[in-house]
Amino acid sequence: MKNKNKTFSIERKQARWGFSFTLPCLLFFSVFSFYPIVNAFFTSLTNRMAVQRTSEFIGFDNYIYLFTKSNGGFSLMNSMRATLTFTIGTFIPMVVISLILAVFLMQLRHPKSKQFFQLAYYTPAVLSSVVAAAIWLILFDPRGLFNQFANTLTFQSGHDFLWLVNNEMLQASTMIVYFWKYIGYFVILFITGLAAIPPAIYEAATVDGSNRWKTFWRITLPLLKPTVVLVSIMAMLQCLKTFSTQYMFHQGGAARQPIDVITMNIYFTGIRNGRLGRASAMSIILFIIMLILTYFQFAVSKSDDVEY
Amino acid sequence: MKKIVVSILLILALIAPLLATGTQEVDENAPVTIEFWTHEDANRQKLEDRYIEEFTKTHPNVTVNVTRQSANKLIELVQSAFAANQGPTMFNLSIEDEYQYISAGRVAQIDYEAAGYSDAKDVINSYAPKMLEGVTLDGKVYGLPLELTNWSIFLNKKVFRDAGLDPEKDYPKTWEDMVEISRKLIIREGDILVRRGYDFRYGYYLVNNVPMVEQLGGALFSEDGKEAIVGEKAWIEFLTFMKNWGPNGENLGSPTYTAARKLFNKDNNDIAMCTTGLYQEARILNDNPDFYNSGEWMVVPYPKFKNAVKDVAGCYYGHFYMVNSDADKATQKAAWQLISYMLSHGEEYLVNVGIIQPTIELLNSETYKNMPYSDVFTGDFARGHIVYYGAASAEIQALIRTSVEAVMLQGVDPKQAYLQLKTSAQELIDEQ
Amino acid sequence: MNKFIGKHTVGEIIIWIFLILVLLFTLTPIIFMFTASFMDPRQILSMPYSWIPSTKFFTPVTLNDGTGTTIPRTFLTNFHKAIYGNNNNVIFLRNLLNSLIVAISCSVSTVLLGSLCGYGLAKFRFKGRTFVFMAIMATMMIPFEAIMIPLYMVTSSLKMIDSYRGLIIPFLVSAFGVFQMRQYLLTFPSEYLDASRVDGLGEFKIYWKIVLPNCTPVIATLGILSFRNQWDNLLWPLLVSQREKMKTIPLYITKFSEEKQTDEGALMAVALLASIPMFILFFTLSRYFLGGAAVYESRKG
Repeated sequence: MKNKNKTFSIERKQARWGFSFTLPCLLFFSVFSFYPIVNAFFTSLTNRMAVQRTSEFIGFDNYIYLFTKSNGGFSLMNSMRATLTFTIGTFIPMVVISLILAVFLMQLRHPKSKQFFQLAYYTPAVLSSVVAAAIWLILFDPRGLFNQFANTLTFQSGHDFLWLVNNEMLQASTMIVYFWKYIGYFVILFITGLAAIPPAIYEAATVDGSNRWKTFWRITLPLLKPTVVLVSIMAMLQCLKTFSTQYMFHQGGAARQPIDVITMNIYFTGIRNGRLGRASAMSIILFIIMLILTYFQFAVSKSDDVEY
Repeated sequence: MKKIVVSILLILALIAPLLATGTQEVDENAPVTIEFWTHEDANRQKLEDRYIEEFTKTHPNVTVNVTRQSANKLIELVQSAFAANQGPTMFNLSIEDEYQYISAGRVAQIDYEAAGYSDAKDVINSYAPKMLEGVTLDGKVYGLPLELTNWSIFLNKKVFRDAGLDPEKDYPKTWEDMVEISRKLIIREGDILVRRGYDFRYGYYLVNNVPMVEQLGGALFSEDGKEAIVGEKAWIEFLTFMKNWGPNGENLGSPTYTAARKLFNKDNNDIAMCTTGLYQEARILNDNPDFYNSGEWMVVPYPKFKNAVKDVAGCYYGHFYMVNSDADKATQKAAWQLISYMLSHGEEYLVNVGIIQPTIELLNSETYKNMPYSDVFTGDFARGHIVYYGAASAEIQALIRTSVEAVMLQGVDPKQAYLQLKTSAQELIDEQ
Repeated sequence: MNKFIGKHTVGEIIIWIFLILVLLFTLTPIIFMFTASFMDPRQILSMPYSWIPSTKFFTPVTLNDGTGTTIPRTFLTNFHKAIYGNNNNVIFLRNLLNSLIVAISCSVSTVLLGSLCGYGLAKFRFKGRTFVFMAIMATMMIPFEAIMIPLYMVTSSLKMIDSYRGLIIPFLVSAFGVFQMRQYLLTFPSEYLDASRVDGLGEFKIYWKIVLPNCTPVIATLGILSFRNQWDNLLWPLLVSQREKMKTIPLYITKFSEEKQTDEGALMAVALLASIPMFILFFTLSRYFLGGAAVYESRKG
């Protein structure tokens, strides 16, 4: 203890304070996040079934199975395809269009209109996913609004666009709902990022003779990069974790295979079919995919950081 | 230093749940709590609540907590609860979802004395033959039936007449009739169906559609249980029939429309026929008494194909009350007493809820014979057999659903869908 | 960005058209929900959709008390059905209250715990700081379905099933909350902290009296988002709430779209009612939400 007194310094004291501030959260995450995922990992090495009392250690057999067999017709490969298609088909338009919307909004004359649009775009996100699904299932019903709308747009009548029926249409439908729900949220994130750029820069650019287009590409976009990266990662992670939209549609009568995203496959394999070992293996695989993709995005963005 | 603390926390977090254990005590008149999980049914709930109240009056040391969930959700919830060793004291599910509990030893044998029987044979003999097959293993009985149900075709007479048909004469006797009659009954706006003739009860393929395959000479499994999806020609014929029915064929119906049986009670001129059971009668009475009393509905038997090689009606399934084998003896006993008390009111269940508890006594009673069209259901019972309840039944049903949806909604060729179905199902069977 | 000034250009008009189209796309389903909640189910699926609820489609409504009596339908019938449900008990209000209790508790705890942790990570140097941060961020990648069952087991061994604790405690704080707070606090001027330390304030008091009050916009945003996430939670209450009176609103809504009946009118009415608290919260606190200068303006000094 005498030694400690000698080296006692403000920094050490602060370090201890800092650490103890993080302690409650750490404790929480240990019990409710780390423990379950570690447990899931160990379960993935067994052949545990929900209702059986005992299970055996089978090593990596679950993982081998998932990559080689069809898991009762809902293979992991198909789930990966479904998840990937959904993610790419949703997060890219979301990021791009929300950026465009944010940029447009920033140029409006009256701040009030900017606020109005942001509020309006965000409203769907306020609804719970159950509510959103309930509304859209009715909208996508063959007799519902979307068919009528699409018919008007394409100058036909009575044509059923098979929103929930056709393979591609079904996937597109889930993407539409997800996009509808979250676009406002990302618009707001982008506006926050855009607002952080000091107006002085724009004034300087105008003085230098730059037009709107050039300003956007050469100045705004590079300065916005941290926000774009943040938004992209969040959007991507969110899309990878999607569950309720696809689940609700399937409950409402749609086929499962085209939209059998990994989370849904985990749910059905584990909770419906009771194959906990295999479902845990799928979860670990998803977890690793997410880690890799996030790391990848971070690495790509670390190159050329811009400061001002 | 910090890393050590973090690691200790992690280890503690890992161990802590292992240290939490439950204790059990056995004491005759000690307070007993029964957790009773069942699926929602407005009509049955009224009876249950009453019986439970009466039971707790005569057994004051017993508390009964009822949890009701939708039928689909209940399957998953009971399974999750058992996976965490926190299963309810007693519950009921459809036999194909329940069988795994028996084979895994999670549910207890009937406490024959508590339930008012002398032994297993006594129980089996009180019920109509073969009714307890699904819950009997090695001569021991593990459940008592809440209901045994089969589905026939309900028909709205008004819609038939509106299309110029005579319901008494022109009702469909074959599946080919069904197609033809639906053509006449259908009203469309463009591609969109505004009124359907009949539509299948999508989702319940094991109960409702496997018999169609069997009529054509196919089967779910071979006799020895080693081969899955037997009878290529029959299965392809069945899938072709479904393809023809759907949006890519004659567009007579589809899984994406509102389920027929949900529309039937409203008598809204949007559906003529649906597949459902005797319990629907109680629901019609509850939802739309004018419709019920008008007599403008009837029940007809399950159709068969013109060239059917076997006469098979829709399968019957059953819900059985089962008791958690982890519960202590006193609780188990109280549970069986409660179950047997509730089940002693067979006629009330029949009249108020429309479910059949297949005791010999009930099936011979006047009450049963007086239920409208009960003879149709009895006839179909005789023509049918119990639904497949063995291992992986949920997954097999999901596979059939996939192949039906593939041919109906995604334009997949029936032969291809059959091959896919066979491979996947075979894989499931080989794993067992 | 430069705002438009002076004459209206073609570019500006195009921008407006685009914005309005997206607006229509965003708001139509919500308006649909609103109008449909007053309609008879038959009108909802009639083609073409007639937008204005009309009595033309009204059919008498059967009371659910088993007597089979019918009463005429009114514009408010759907709401009546929504609130009274199938069994004529007003469990809807109880479920609403449950959702409120859970959502409010979780958002308060997320703000407090998240800010504390974020502060520690942002403003203090200690060994293993990056490791702790990365570990917490990694939890954002754990899909809920993966840990559902182990979490259920933890909760039941802590005897929290079917109680408020079981609904709240597993969601006391989110990694996202820690992340938000940390990012914000990174830019908090350290001079103030040092000045307070020189003044003799204890570390915790500094956090409580100096740091926290100056984070209002982030706290508001985080609080609202956490509230929303908990309000929306479907899977967890499904596992944990067993008795009817412990269920939350999303479970109540799914009851209406279930097996036995489809009453699209009542479903939309339930959806509307269940969304009202969120709408109120959202609109009153929207200024914290919206992107723009507000976020950086509120810092004192």
